[in-house]
Amino acid sequence: MTSIELPAEHIQRIERDGDVVAARQTGRRIAAEMGFGRPEQALIATAISELARNIVSYAERGSITFRAEDHAGRRGLRIVAEDRGPGIPDLAQAMSDGFSTGNSLGLGLPGTQRIMDEFDIRSIPGEGVTVTVAKWISR
Amino acid sequence: MDDIIASSTGGHGQPGDGTADQLRWFDITDTDRRRAEALAETAGDVADEIIEAFYAHLLSFEDARRHFRTDAQIERVKRAQQTYFRELLSAPLDAGYVENRRRIGRIHERAGVTPTLYVGAYAYYLHSLGHLVMDRRGQDPQAVPLLLSLIKIAHFDMAQALETYVEAREATIEQREREMSELPTPVLQLRDGLLLIPVVGTLDSYRARSLTVKLLEGIRDHRAKAVVLDITGVAAVDSAVANHLIQTMTAARLMGATSVLTGLSADVAQALVKIGVTGETLRTAGDLQHGIEIAERLLDG
Ligand SMILES: Nc1ncnc2c1ncn2[C@@H]1O[C@H](COP(=O)(O)OP(=O)(O)OP(=O)(O)O)[C@@H](O)[C@H]1O
Ligand SMILES: [Mg+2]
Repeated sequence: MTSIELPAEHIQRIERDGDVVAARQTGRRIAAEMGFGRPEQALIATAISELARNIVSYAERGSITFRAEDHAGRRGLRIVAEDRGPGIPDLAQAMSDGFSTGNSLGLGLPGTQRIMDEFDIRSIPGEGVTVTVAKWISR
Repeated sequence: MDDIIASSTGGHGQPGDGTADQLRWFDITDTDRRRAEALAETAGDVADEIIEAFYAHLLSFEDARRHFRTDAQIERVKRAQQTYFRELLSAPLDAGYVENRRRIGRIHERAGVTPTLYVGAYAYYLHSLGHLVMDRRGQDPQAVPLLLSLIKIAHFDMAQALETYVEAREATIEQREREMSELPTPVLQLRDGLLLIPVVGTLDSYRARSLTVKLLEGIRDHRAKAVVLDITGVAAVDSAVANHLIQTMTAARLMGATSVLTGLSADVAQALVKIGVTGETLRTAGDLQHGIEIAERLLDG
């Protein structure tokens, strides 16, 4: 396996639509450099889009952090979406298919959980939301 | 430090939110302010000398010279600069000060004074003043602490100006994004009853609404029965964008026209299906040529 030197961490701030696009492109580029296949790159890019757009739509601003990781010889990409917006009062409800306060499809969070290998969401109402997801390169 | 980095990207409570916070970030206390004031007299004595030397230095650069057209203008700028540095030493560092500094920064930015030019001028001033103070008060044990306090304040001051550069840049980007999102959506008639609408840029709810209106108007005006919506130029397709597209296409159907969606890469279409976006909407994905063929079959069939 070739090892590419990636910066340990990359942070993209999220404030507007353009940042959603930028985060998505950055994530896709890092995933490609790490050796993810094209279908997986698309999954990662879509997950980033969902998380970033939720930040713009519901929290106004926040950030997305990308981290390349190595675990027991396996490479993965960890993505942390963080904001200090209003938070989510009922996580179970927000994680169910079709629930949306934004008159949308309500698929962003549950869908992201489906397409990533790891998914963790935390929220303290009034203090924001942190979603951490990861995808490992399949062998 | 990690904490500071994290919070500065989070966007809240970062140094920069309020003047008091900023002063704390730069570790500027009343003592610093008093010390800088103690330099005011010496600085006043040597101000002319520094400014003259600075302009001689500045005007030896072709790029900088372009900013000045007349001697009168140079005189004006010199006087403004005297005031600027006098305030640096003795004006109260409050919200009014910050606002004033930012206003000046905006003027500089608009005038094309680059950060390099700005920071360079500052460095020149601090350096010259430092030397002159040491020449005059080198024996005074207070001289060095005085200068160190001044340097803190100067950095705080420079931050104000640089923030305005960033803000101005952001405003430009936002403006461009707004213009992009207000780009007229072209409605092209490919043949009788068949429309092509290329969608470019981002598809937020505002834009999606105007796309829907355009599409419905197009259908009405051209009595269209089939519409090809090409989203090759849409930068980030996710469930929110899919939602907008589904609603637009549903509206078209209510007007009696079937829509075909093209320009979605197979990988992204797959990802959306896994996210849970269903409906016929995304199954029609393919390239533009293929989309037009499908639409023609719809018309002929
Ligand atoms: N960062 C956030 N801050 C506050 N609330 C959030 C945040 N992210 C999601 N939510 C809440 O959780 C709900 C579900 O989010 P999810 O992304 O699954 O669906 P959606 O954004 O409403 O629709 P879709 O993503 O399908 O366009 C949202 O409607 C919103 O109420
Ligand atoms: Mg969402």
